[in-house]
Amino acid sequence: MFPIYKKELQSFFYTPFAYTITALFLLLFTYMISTKVADLDSNLAIFSYTEVFYNVIIYFIFLIPLLTMRTFADERKFGTEVLLMTSPVSVLKIVLGKFFANVTVFLFMIAGTIIFPIITSQYGNVVESQLKCAYIGFFLWGTMFICVGMLISSMTESSIIAAVIGELIMFAFLFLDDFSRTAFISQYPKLQSVLMAFAAQPRFAYFSAGFIRLSDIVFFISAIIVLLSWTYISIEKKRWKRG
Amino acid sequence: MITIENLTKYYGSNRAVNDISFTINDNEILGFLGPNGAGKSTTMNMITGYLPLSGGKVTINGVDISKAPIKAKKDIGYLPEIPPLYPEMKVKEYLRFCAGLKGIPFRKRGEEVDRVMELLSITDVKGKLIRNLSKGYKQRVGFAQALLGDPKFLILDEPTVGLDPNQVIEVRNIIRDLKKDHSVIFSSHILSEVSEICDRVVIINKGDIRAIDTIENLESSLSTGLVLHIKVKGEKGTAASIIELTKGVKEMLDITDEGSSIFSFTVQLEGDADEIRGNIMSELLKNNVNILEIYTERPNLENVFIELINRPVQKQSLQELLAEMESEAPEEDDTTEDTKEEN
Repeated sequence: MFPIYKKELQSFFYTPFAYTITALFLLLFTYMISTKVADLDSNLAIFSYTEVFYNVIIYFIFLIPLLTMRTFADERKFGTEVLLMTSPVSVLKIVLGKFFANVTVFLFMIAGTIIFPIITSQYGNVVESQLKCAYIGFFLWGTMFICVGMLISSMTESSIIAAVIGELIMFAFLFLDDFSRTAFISQYPKLQSVLMAFAAQPRFAYFSAGFIRLSDIVFFISAIIVLLSWTYISIEKKRWKRG
Repeated sequence: MITIENLTKYYGSNRAVNDISFTINDNEILGFLGPNGAGKSTTMNMITGYLPLSGGKVTINGVDISKAPIKAKKDIGYLPEIPPLYPEMKVKEYLRFCAGLKGIPFRKRGEEVDRVMELLSITDVKGKLIRNLSKGYKQRVGFAQALLGDPKFLILDEPTVGLDPNQVIEVRNIIRDLKKDHSVIFSSHILSEVSEICDRVVIINKGDIRAIDTIENLESSLSTGLVLHIKVKGEKGTAASIIELTKGVKEMLDITDEGSSIFSFTVQLEGDADEIRGNIMSELLKNNVNILEIYTERPNLENVFIELINRPVQKQSLQELLAEMESEAPEEDDTTEDTKEEN
């Protein structure tokens, strides 16, 4: 597993990829912070990091699929899948190696944001407990969507298609709770409760508000496990169908 | 030893490999020969555990590849048709990664990578990005990958494609050297290559095995007789009629005029070649025709190959034969009717 993890990291960090995507993310994050700070002049505005996080996740609709799109699609495109599949390494280890590499790049991306609370703490107070909660929620939320992206990538040979479909699915997930609150869905309370159960957004909102609820953690972790298993199954299924 | 029993592969309803069985003995180079699309790569992909089997069994040193894939794969080095390379990696980096994949202990990796780079003489490009390598180098890097960890069985899918003639010879020599303590399956559609280095060949076409034998046996077992070349000095007509009339000469294939009354004849023989040659020689000498050159030639592997792949599949079971007879029966009726009408 470790050689695959290392190779994936090399492919991210020996190329401009990881730096470009992190720079783009930090640019968006900084833009969000600077507008919030600018808004402080009006007395109504309250500045909080968790709110910034909450607002910034919409950008991940584009960033996470970019990160994960190549995971399996490129292996197929370059014919290197044969190498992995004929090596004495189980498919599960291949999936996990790639998963941890993607998570590492994601951590690298969010690590850059720590500088803002540090600067703020020099001049004022940062509510540390709430910030930690927000980071944990952010991490779990992102990790879950990395798994979604990997699953999509395992189904196709084209990284572009993997990215676009990943974006669509993330978009759908992000607005699932808004959708389930519409008047139309409210007519069917059972359906509404099912849809709400799958909505990741409100769960993230709890984290960013400073709550760590066991049900939310269980939700994210089980979603990660289920999605990784599906990725595993999808790769095996592709092998059987290969022609 | 690798044993392949009743191996079958379906792609949907399309049968790519049809119930083939053969074994690869220890310290043997087995040539795997067939035209494009014959099922060579599919078979190799199944032996190495990349493609699941639709039916049959592959055992590597007694380990079933479907039941214990990880254990079985440890003994295999595989070079697929398209070398599995990461274009954005450097050669040494790539080989180190492969060494890790194959479970070579961390400390031995550097040594092992150096060994295979030395063997395939790619040490000079170790710091280059794979993307920038020429096709021949890419092929050799792929080959180096297969040799990592010194696996007992090497499965090479057209390893000499894209190499220049010098490199082809080098690679062949490497394969020959590997025979000492490895078994090699080597696929190719280049016949001369196979006949040069392989101990046995398996010829397949359209998913069926057409022949499994040594090259010599294949050549001699075929119906195509020997070819006699004679170069004479004298009168063309006399020589030609003597040769044509000698018993055992099947067909005059070619006559060339080489100037100053020297002629070359190419003749297809039937039966005992030595006797026929003796007869021709004595008849020619009696008639004062000078023989400048005379030799017999075996049909080349090319002919063997073409004949074998075009030959209908041998039916093994009685049922298959009966089924075939039934399907042919109405056709025979038609022909008899036709002849009746003609009469």
